[in-house]
Amino acid sequence: MKILVCMKQVPQKDAPLKLNESATWVREDVGYEVNEPDAYALEEALRQKEKNGGEVVVITAGPARAQQVLREALAKGADRAIHLEDDRFVTLDAFNIARAFAEAIKDEAFDLILTGLQSDDFGYAQTGVLLAELKGWAHATIIMHIEGKDGGIRVKRELESGFFQFVDMPLPSVLTIQSGINKLRYATLIGIKQAKNKPLRKVSFDEVASALRPNQLTIERLYVPKKTKQTEVIQGSAQDVAKKLVAKLRDEMRVL
Amino acid sequence: MIFRTPMEGIDHPEMEADVVIVGGGPAGMACALRLSQLIDAHNTAHPGAELSKENIYVLEKGREIGQHCLSGALLDPRSMNELLPGWRDEAPIEAEVSSDSLYYMTRKSAFKAPITPPPMQDHGNYVISINRFAKWLGAKVEETGITIFSGFAGSELLYDGERVAGVRTDDKGVDKSNQPKGNFEPGYDLKSKITILAEGSRGSLTKQLTGKLGLCKDRNPMTYGVGVKELWELPAGRVKPGEVIYTMGYPLTTREYGGAWIYGGKDNTVSLGFVTGLDYPDPRTDPQHVLQSFKQHPFVAKLLEGGKMVRYGAKTMPYGGWWSMPPLGGDGWMIVGDSAGFLNSQRLKGIHLAIKSGMLAAETAFESLISGDSSASQLGTLQQKVDASWIRQELFPVRNFHQGFEHGFLSGMLNTGLLMATGGHGLRDRYPAHSGHERMLPLWDIMGHGGEREQLLGWAKGDGKLTFDKLTDLYHSGTRHEEDQPAHLVIHDTNICATRCAQEFGNPCQFFCPANVYEMEEASDAPNGRRIHLNPSNCVHCKTCDIMDPYQIITWVPPEGGGGPSYEGM
Repeated sequence: MKILVCMKQVPQKDAPLKLNESATWVREDVGYEVNEPDAYALEEALRQKEKNGGEVVVITAGPARAQQVLREALAKGADRAIHLEDDRFVTLDAFNIARAFAEAIKDEAFDLILTGLQSDDFGYAQTGVLLAELKGWAHATIIMHIEGKDGGIRVKRELESGFFQFVDMPLPSVLTIQSGINKLRYATLIGIKQAKNKPLRKVSFDEVASALRPNQLTIERLYVPKKTKQTEVIQGSAQDVAKKLVAKLRDEMRVL
Repeated sequence: MIFRTPMEGIDHPEMEADVVIVGGGPAGMACALRLSQLIDAHNTAHPGAELSKENIYVLEKGREIGQHCLSGALLDPRSMNELLPGWRDEAPIEAEVSSDSLYYMTRKSAFKAPITPPPMQDHGNYVISINRFAKWLGAKVEETGITIFSGFAGSELLYDGERVAGVRTDDKGVDKSNQPKGNFEPGYDLKSKITILAEGSRGSLTKQLTGKLGLCKDRNPMTYGVGVKELWELPAGRVKPGEVIYTMGYPLTTREYGGAWIYGGKDNTVSLGFVTGLDYPDPRTDPQHVLQSFKQHPFVAKLLEGGKMVRYGAKTMPYGGWWSMPPLGGDGWMIVGDSAGFLNSQRLKGIHLAIKSGMLAAETAFESLISGDSSASQLGTLQQKVDASWIRQELFPVRNFHQGFEHGFLSGMLNTGLLMATGGHGLRDRYPAHSGHERMLPLWDIMGHGGEREQLLGWAKGDGKLTFDKLTDLYHSGTRHEEDQPAHLVIHDTNICATRCAQEFGNPCQFFCPANVYEMEEASDAPNGRRIHLNPSNCVHCKTCDIMDPYQIITWVPPEGGGGPSYEGM
């Protein structure tokens, strides 16, 4: 099975963020890491390859720093990588990223495209779905399990309140993977060393520019929410406090 | 509580190596770059007898190069000019030093020294972010073909008798109870001809090595300070780029050693921090609190008003000087940078020395690769190279500087004058020194001393604007670890914490740790009602606990590689 994994480099989780000058995105001087669900998508692709043979290719779009994501993936066992390298990719909306990916892989024949469920930074959860639309393939989201079935695959989707849905899918398909579907492996020293000699194709902005359209989504303004939460300490004897608390819950909060 | 200890009965995959450099800071990166330059020159001159860089490796415990690097930082360009002429045009520099001044602080006032003492004059030096600088050096090393393994710590040295035969990397995927998880990956045995320890201050492998081989028996004990740093963004024009301010005095009293720095960077950022000597007498002293009290001084508070703290971190620095440095090379090993104590405590600078020591180690390693001899007779020549270089010219005259302060600030200043007049000799050529932790006083001896020192003692409360409590500061260090792993702060006898230490010193770990790793929690079954509790995930890898614990029962070992602070822009 030939699998493509779409990956993204995002600001490190819990990193203190600072807004850029125009307050449309965060400043570059933060730590970056692999988008969490993408790491699970990669792990799932590697496991499918170990079971069924084939090839795992990883792709990302972003500035030079984003190459780190691909190198980590190659070190963990991906066979080759594609880097759409340009600062401008950061400003594209999900539809345009999907268009850029589709254009970059137009000469390849994948059986499966995996993406993370959503990105930790924008959180649109759209790139995978739109990529399926552009390719004219079937897709399924929030995947918790994949197994082969009758030449196609059967997947398990996570629904609300502990419910799951099983869906039979044809190949090729696009699946967006939920974090926690598997247990992530560590890169090994030998893997890191071998990764240096694995092919990494760079794709320039110009090579995919003809496939792009004006962004349909732009960020007008980013701001840090003002804290409106107020804490009130009720004092007095236990009986008094209980009375006052009940009164507040009934009359002010109206939850009783 | 279960601590990280080497796992039994595990097969470790092996990899052959010519050179392994442990640590991707300035010393390690300079070492790798210089080695690559020498190999390139050799290969051009000797076609047919080329040396390969294929088996030269750098281990870095941070997720990426620079992540764990913390310093003021001021860079004396001397060694960079030798390593990479023209570096200034491409290296990330915050600003060239434009002015320097020294203040003596009392509780309410700040007195400016009429002239900045020569050792603290900084014209020609550069304000840099050591994080960005190391990252830039790392990219240079990657270009050479030398492989950097980031996210991998050196957890143990491999020995062949008394010869160092390589390094074992950290086991990954070990759970809280020291058992392998589903994704367990055993550490690699990097069987190396030459192992170069460039771990930074109080290196864990350096400690293992010097302990096992008894390398430091005839040396002065190393003494340390811990630098607690905050990066601030200030309203435009408050501190000029390249402006350098040093202070002495308040909030410390004459019985503690230390001082502050304020460096102006670009884009209205200011690096400010306070170094507290890890030889203070009062066990309740809290270095993070010292920095908070320093900021409350009117002189500093005015400077910071309306600004915003953006990042926090802490790291120890070795300033014992020449007499406390370990031997630099032996059978299969060399030690460079802060691990060996290459730091000028009078000038408060060490990056240029770390870089130079790394370069000299590279030259030694190169000779060894050519001769095939990596024994002490070859690698020990690093000492001669250091002695013949400007490192000795710079460090030897200040060899007794820090010892002069053992009896307090005033005698230290007098001694400094005497040393400067006698070329560093003073009253005798080698002043003795004591480990800082030995100078900590038991609780009964410091009773009544609190008054003039309350600004140093116990936890800072923090107002959320100018001053911060430890947890708020810690949040700004970007520290993260895999939660499900054994504690990497190995306490060899936790009974001492609850019994002797509680009574004698009141558990100073709660205060000296700048990251809130150590807590004493209520426990009705414990002898004094309280028992030690660790938050290893908070650890910023500063090593203060390993140094300052009065019973020397804490050993800092590397946690799972990749964990730790994220000192972006520090």
